[in-house]
Amino acid sequence: MRTRSRCIAAILLAVSAAALIGFAALLFGAKPMSLDAAMRAVFVPSQNTDGIIVWTLRMPRSIAAFLAGAALAVAGLLLQVITRNPLAAPDLTGVSAGAVVLIVLTFVVFPTVSSVFYPFIGMSGGLLAAAMTIWAARAGRAPPLHLALSGITVSLFLNATTAYILIRGAPQSPSVLFWLSGGFQGRSWPQVTYMLPWIVLGIGAALASHRVIGLLALGDEASAGMGLNTARCKLLLLLCAAALVAGVTPVAGPVAFIGLTVPHLVRLLRPAEAVSAILLNASFGGAILLTADALARSVAAPREIPVSIFTALIGGPIFLYLVQKREHLPSGEGAR
Amino acid sequence: MTFGTPTSGRLGRGLVAPLTLSAALLIAAVFLGVVDLPAADILAVLAGRGSDDADLVIGTIRIPRILTGILAGAHFAVAGLLLQAITRNPLADPTILGISQGATLTVTIFLLFAVYGSGADAHTLYSLPLHWLPLVACAGGMLTGLLVYYLAMRNRLSVLRLTLSGIAIGATLHALAMGLIAGWGSSRFEIVMQWLSGSLYARSWEHVVFLLPFTFAAAVALPLLHRSIDMLRFEEDVARSFGLSYRLHFSLVLLTACGLAASAVGTVGPLIFVGLVVPHLAHFLAGRSFGMVMPLTVVLGASLVTGADLAGRLLGQAEEIPIGVITALTGAPVLLFLLRRRS
Repeated sequence: MRTRSRCIAAILLAVSAAALIGFAALLFGAKPMSLDAAMRAVFVPSQNTDGIIVWTLRMPRSIAAFLAGAALAVAGLLLQVITRNPLAAPDLTGVSAGAVVLIVLTFVVFPTVSSVFYPFIGMSGGLLAAAMTIWAARAGRAPPLHLALSGITVSLFLNATTAYILIRGAPQSPSVLFWLSGGFQGRSWPQVTYMLPWIVLGIGAALASHRVIGLLALGDEASAGMGLNTARCKLLLLLCAAALVAGVTPVAGPVAFIGLTVPHLVRLLRPAEAVSAILLNASFGGAILLTADALARSVAAPREIPVSIFTALIGGPIFLYLVQKREHLPSGEGAR
Repeated sequence: MTFGTPTSGRLGRGLVAPLTLSAALLIAAVFLGVVDLPAADILAVLAGRGSDDADLVIGTIRIPRILTGILAGAHFAVAGLLLQAITRNPLADPTILGISQGATLTVTIFLLFAVYGSGADAHTLYSLPLHWLPLVACAGGMLTGLLVYYLAMRNRLSVLRLTLSGIAIGATLHALAMGLIAGWGSSRFEIVMQWLSGSLYARSWEHVVFLLPFTFAAAVALPLLHRSIDMLRFEEDVARSFGLSYRLHFSLVLLTACGLAASAVGTVGPLIFVGLVVPHLAHFLAGRSFGMVMPLTVVLGASLVTGADLAGRLLGQAEEIPIGVITALTGAPVLLFLLRRRS
C-alpha cells in the first residue's frame, strides 16, 4: 500500500500547490495587489475595486483554468486507455478538432444559437470525429499506429474545414481566432458554472468505471477473458472523454498539450489503481493549467499572453524529457 | 527510382494514367484561371507572340505559379516518402517531424520583428519583406529538423524516439506560433494565416529559382542513395548485416528529406497533406512493384498540388481557397479509406 499513500500524498501536494499558486496569482496581474489587500478582499468580501478584481476576475478565472486542466488531463488518460496508444490525446484523436469545427460552424452560420448549446454541439462534433477515427481504424482492431494515423488525419481534415469556414465567414473571424487560440481571459463565474456539470459528469463517470479502466489496461484479450464487453466499455469511456473535451472547449478553446503530457507525467508515479490515476491526472492537469494561466496574465501584464504558449513551454519539454528518458513509452495504464 | 526492374511493362502501364492525368491538369492549369483569356491568346503567348496583357498573365503569373506548385508538390511528396521509409512509420511526414511547424514559427517571429522593427502602423503593410519568407522558413525548418535529429541520435539512434520527438517539438512550436499570432492580434494575422494554410498566390519566378537548387541536389542524391534507402526500410541490425553504415546513410537520407521539405514549406507554406497522403497513394497504385513508387510519388505530388491550386483558383474566384485547405479536404478521405482497407 506504499504506492497508495504515495499517490494520496502526490494528489494533496498537487492540489495544495494549485491552491497556493491560485492564491499567489490573485496578487499579480494588470493591477498588482499587496498581500494583505488580497487577504482582506478574499475574507471580507466587499464591493470595492480589490474585491471586484479578486472575486469576479482573478479567482473565477483560476478556478476555470483548474477545472479545464483537470478535465483535459482525464480526457487524455481515458483516450490513452481506450486506444492503448501513448499519443492518444484530445488533440491527436480529432476529438478537439471535431468539437471546434462544429462550434465554429454554428457560430459563423447560425449566430443566433445560444451558447448554452455549444457543449452539446461540441460533444456531437467530438463524437463524430471519434467515430470517423474509429471507423477508419476498424474499431480499434487495427494496430495502434493506424488509430493514431487516422486520428491525425481526421483532425487535419477538420482543422482544414475550420480554416475554410473562417476564411469564408470573414466578419466574425478575429473573435473566433481569439477563442481558437485558447485561454481564460475574461472568463468568470458564468463560464465556471457552465462547464462544471460536464466536468463533474465526465470525471464522475470515469471514477465510477475505474474497474473497467484497470481491466482495459491489461489488453483486449485479457480484459475480454475477464468477462468484459470491451467494445461497450470503450464506447462508454469515449463518451466520458468527449463530454470532458466538449465541456471545456466552448469556454477555453482548444488548449494544447495538457491531455497529451499529464497522463505521461502521472505514469512516472506508477499509480497502482485507476482511481488514483484519474485523481492524479485531474489534480496535476488542473495545477499545470492554473500555473500556465497565472503566468499568461502576469508575465507581460497588462498585456495578456495566450495560455497555449505556456502550456506548450511547460508541456513540450516534459514530453520531450519523457521521450528521451524511455526507449518505449508505456502504452497502457499501469504498464511500465 | 530502381530503374532495372523486371516489371518494366507494368511500370509503363501503371504510370500512364497518372501521367495523362497530370498532363491534363497542367494544360488546364495554364488555360483556366480567374482572368478569362481566349485559348488562342494563350497559345500565342506560348509560341512567343502574345499581346502584352496575355504575356503578363501567362508568363509572369500563371506559369511560375504552376512551376512552383509542381516543384513544391514533388518536394513534399518525396520528403514524405523518404521519411516514411527510413522511420518505418506510415505516419511520418514533414508535419509529423516538426519541420513545417518550425518554419511557421520562424516566419511568425520574423514578421513580428519586421513589422515592429520598422515602426509599423497600418500603412506599412506593403513594405513587409515578403521575399525573405522562403529563406527564413527554410532555415527554420532545417533547424527544427536538426534539433529533432539531434534528440533522436543522442544516445543510440532510435526511430521511435525520432517520431515522438518530432511530434513533441512540432506541437510545441505550433502552439508557440499560434500563441504569437493570437497575442499579436493585429490586422496582419491574415498574412500569417494565409501563409499557414498554404498558397501559391503571387508565387513568381523567384520562388522557382529558390526551389530549383534543392530539386537538383535531391535529383543527384537520390539515385546515389537509393540502395541505402531500400535497406533502411529494415531494422537497424538487419541493415547493418547488409554492410550498410546505418547512421551515416540514415543521416544523409534524413538531410535530403529535410532539405526538400523545408524548401517547399518556405515557398508555399505548410501543405500538410501532400507529404503524408501521396506516398500512401503511390504505394497503393504501385502495388508490389517498388520501383514505381518513387516516380509515382513525384508525379502524384506535383499533380495534387497543381490540381488543388487550380481548384482553389476556380472555386474561390477572386477570393482563392488556400491549397492547404483543398489538399486536406480531398486528401484526408482518401487516406482514411486507404487506412481502412489496409487494416
